[in-house]
Amino acid sequence: MKISPFTVLLTLLALAFTLALGLAQDAAGWSQRGKSGNVLGMMFGDGRKLLANQFFTMADVYFHSGYYPSVFDNKAGQEDEPKAIVAATRGHEGHDHETGDKKCEKCEECGSFLGQPKDWIDAFGRNFKIAQHTHLEHGKEREMLPWLRLAADLDPQKIDTYTVGAFYLRNHLKHVNQAEAFLREGLRNNPDSCEILFELGRLYRESSHDLDRARNVWELGVRKFLARSPAEQKENRLVFEELVVNLGHLEDEAGNYGQAINWFHAAQKVSPNPAVLQKQIDEIQKKLAALLPVGPAKLY
Amino acid sequence: MSAILQTQKLRVEYRTRELRQPVKIALTGLDLEVRAGEVFGFLGPNGAGKTTTMNVLLGFVPPTSGAASLFGIDVRQPIARQRIGYLPEMTYYYKFLSAEELLRFYAKIFGLARAEADRRIDQLLKLVELESARKRPIKSYSKGMQQRVGLAQALLNNPDLLILDEPTSGLDPLGRMKVREIIQRLKNEGKTVFFSSHELGEVETICDRVAIVHQGDLKAVGTVAEISAGHPNLEQAFLKIVGFQSAHAS
Amino acid sequence: MNKIFALTGVVIKELYRRKDFYVLFVLTAVLTLAAGAVNFFHDEKIVRYVKDICLLLIWISSLVIAIVTTARQIPAEREARTIFPLLAKPVSRGQVIAGKFLGCWLATGMALVVFYFFFAVITGSKEQSWPVLTYFQAAWMQWLLLGIVIALVLLGSIYFAAPSSTSTISFVVVISILLVGSHLHVIALQQPEPMQTVLTFVYYIMPHLEWFYLSDFVVYDFGHVPLLKIIAATLYAAVWTGILLLLAWLGFRRKNLTT
Repeated sequence: MKISPFTVLLTLLALAFTLALGLAQDAAGWSQRGKSGNVLGMMFGDGRKLLANQFFTMADVYFHSGYYPSVFDNKAGQEDEPKAIVAATRGHEGHDHETGDKKCEKCEECGSFLGQPKDWIDAFGRNFKIAQHTHLEHGKEREMLPWLRLAADLDPQKIDTYTVGAFYLRNHLKHVNQAEAFLREGLRNNPDSCEILFELGRLYRESSHDLDRARNVWELGVRKFLARSPAEQKENRLVFEELVVNLGHLEDEAGNYGQAINWFHAAQKVSPNPAVLQKQIDEIQKKLAALLPVGPAKLY
Repeated sequence: MSAILQTQKLRVEYRTRELRQPVKIALTGLDLEVRAGEVFGFLGPNGAGKTTTMNVLLGFVPPTSGAASLFGIDVRQPIARQRIGYLPEMTYYYKFLSAEELLRFYAKIFGLARAEADRRIDQLLKLVELESARKRPIKSYSKGMQQRVGLAQALLNNPDLLILDEPTSGLDPLGRMKVREIIQRLKNEGKTVFFSSHELGEVETICDRVAIVHQGDLKAVGTVAEISAGHPNLEQAFLKIVGFQSAHAS
Repeated sequence: MNKIFALTGVVIKELYRRKDFYVLFVLTAVLTLAAGAVNFFHDEKIVRYVKDICLLLIWISSLVIAIVTTARQIPAEREARTIFPLLAKPVSRGQVIAGKFLGCWLATGMALVVFYFFFAVITGSKEQSWPVLTYFQAAWMQWLLLGIVIALVLLGSIYFAAPSSTSTISFVVVISILLVGSHLHVIALQQPEPMQTVLTFVYYIMPHLEWFYLSDFVVYDFGHVPLLKIIAATLYAAVWTGILLLLAWLGFRRKNLTT
C-alpha cells in the first residue's frame, strides 16, 4: 500500500494537536516561568532575581560613575557594596563626594579598594580606567533609574529598589509623582513592607507637606511592623525606629505633643541611643507644660 | 641553450604527524634541467614525485636538501617567480571577486603599471572569451569559465616560463584544444613550458623533451623520440620505464 | 608595499561583500534604538544606559568581525587552495601575513568608524553634546586593541587549521584578558606555589588589553586620558602587534602548505 507523504504529514499534525490538547492542562504546572506576569519573568525564570541584584548593583556603579570594585577587589566585609545608594536614601551619606576631576579627600575609605599601585602595569593601567571616587549629582542621578526600573521589573519583591528609586526621583530629580507611583507599585507587590510605607510617608511629609497622609502611612507601617513575628521585628528594628521617630517629629510639628512623646518613648525601647531621644522628649514636655500640664498616655 | 629551470640533488622528505610513522621520501635527489624555449613534459605515475617537484619550484614546499632554481634564482626567493605563470590542476580563486578584479589583484602583485595591467587584462579576457562576464563574481562562473580565468591569470605577466599542472584534466575537448593552442603559441613566441600530464598522447604531440620520474627518482629524460626508441610509442616506453608489466607486454 | 596593499584590498573587499558586518551593524542599531526608545519614569534626559548598551554592542560586534574575519584568512586560503596561485606569484609569505593583517585591521577600522558614527549620532541627539576627543580616544584605543587581537588570531590561524577553533580560542583568550588581566597579580597572591609564580609571570608577559577599554570614559562623561599616556599605549600596542606578527611569520615561513 502506498501512503502519500501528505497523508503522513496530516496524520502527524493531527497527532501533535491531540497531544497538545491532552497535555496542555498538565504542562501548565510544569514550569513557574510561564506563570510570570511579565516578559522578563518569562525569559529569565527564577534567574531574574540574580539579574535584578546585578542591575541594582549597576545602579550603584552608575552612582559612582564606574568607580567600582570588581569581585577581585572585594575584600572581606566589602562585598555588600550597593549599600552606598541605600545609605544615601536614609541620609547616611556621611560625606560629600565631588564630581569631575576633584578627588574626595574627606574619608579614607574612598579609593581604598584600589590602594597604592602594586607595580608599573597597575600604575599605568590606572590611566585608562576611572580611578576617582565620585557620586552623581546635579540631576545626573537620573542615570541610575533605568537599572532600578529593570531591577524592579525582574524582582518585584526587592524592597530597596523602590525605596532607593523613589528617594532619588523625589529628592534629587523632583519627580514627586513618579516617586509616589513607584512606591505605590512597590507597595502593591509588597503590601506588608514597612520600608516602603516609611519612604512613602517621607514623600508625603517632606515633598507634599501632607502631614495627615504621612501620619496614616507611617502608622500603618507601625501596625504592619507590630504584626510581624518577634524574630522579624528583631531583625528590622531600624525601620521601626525610623517610623516612630519620624512619627514623633510629625506629631511635634503638628502640635500633638502628647502623641509625639508617646512615639519617642516607643522609639527609646529599640534605639541604641535612648538618651538623645530623652532630650527630645524633655523639650516637647516643656512645650506641653506651657500649654497643658497633662502627662502623655502610654502607647504600650 | 641556457637552463631556465634547474634542480640539483633535490630531496624532499615529509614527516607525518603520527608517532612512529616513518619519514616519507617524496624525492630522492632529483637532477632536472629545462632549457629556454622548450616545451618540457614531466611524466610519472601517481605518487612519483611530480607534484612535489612543482611544489618545490613554486615555493610551496621547502626542499629537505639539494637546490632548485628558476632563471638562476633560488626558488625560495619570491623574485624567482616574477617571470613565471602557474596554472594549477584545479581552479582555486577568490569566488567573491570578478575575473577582472582577480586579474587586477594579481597584476598588482606582479607590480604591473596600471595602463599595462589594463591592456593585459583586456587582451587576456578576450583570449579566454570572458569579456562579457568580466564584471560578474567568479562564484557565478561555470567550471569551464573558471578554468579559463585560471589560464588568464597564468598568462597575466607575459611569463617566460609557464608551469602547468595537468592543464587539460577536467576540460572538455574544446578546452583541451584551446590549451594546446596556447601552449603551441607560447612555444612559437619562444616561451618555455613545463607541464605535468597523464595524457601521453598529448605529451607526444607537443613536447620537445620529456622526463619520467618514478618513486622520487628521475628514470629517463630526453626527446620523445629518444625515450620511445625501441617501443611502439611513448606510452609503451613509459610503462616499461616505470616497471609496469602488462599481460600483453609479457 | 604595493603587494601588501593589493592583499589588503582583497581582504577589505571580502569583508564588505560578506554579510557579517551588515548583520552586526543592523543588530547593534536595532538594539540601541530599541533601548533608547524605552521610557523610564518619563525622564527624557536619561542617556547613559543607551551609551553603555550601544558601546557594549560595538565592542562585541567589532571583536566578532575582527576575530571571525581574521581566523578564516589563512585557513580558508589553504582550504580553498587559493594560497597556491597566490604564492606562485612573486610574493613572500611575510608579505601575505602583512597584507592579511593590514586588510583585517583596516576593514575592522572602517567598521569601527561606521559604528562610532552611529553612536555619536544617537547619543548626541539625546545629549546635545559631542565630546569628539573622548569618542576619538575610545575608538582609537579600541582599534589598537583590535590590531593586537588580529595579530593574535593570525598567529593562531597558522597553527589551528579550523577557523572555528581559532575563533573560539581567540575569544576565550581576549575575553579572559579583558576580564581578569588587571587582576591577575592579585589572584596570583592567593594561589599556592608554583601557581603563584606562573600567574605572576603570565601577568607580566601578557598583552594588557584591558588598558584599551575606554568605554567608561565615554559612558560616564569622565573626560579623556592624557595624550602622552595614549601615545605610550599606542607604542605598547604596536610592539605587541609586531611580536605576534613576527611569531605568525616565523610559523608560516617554513610551513608545508600541501599537507
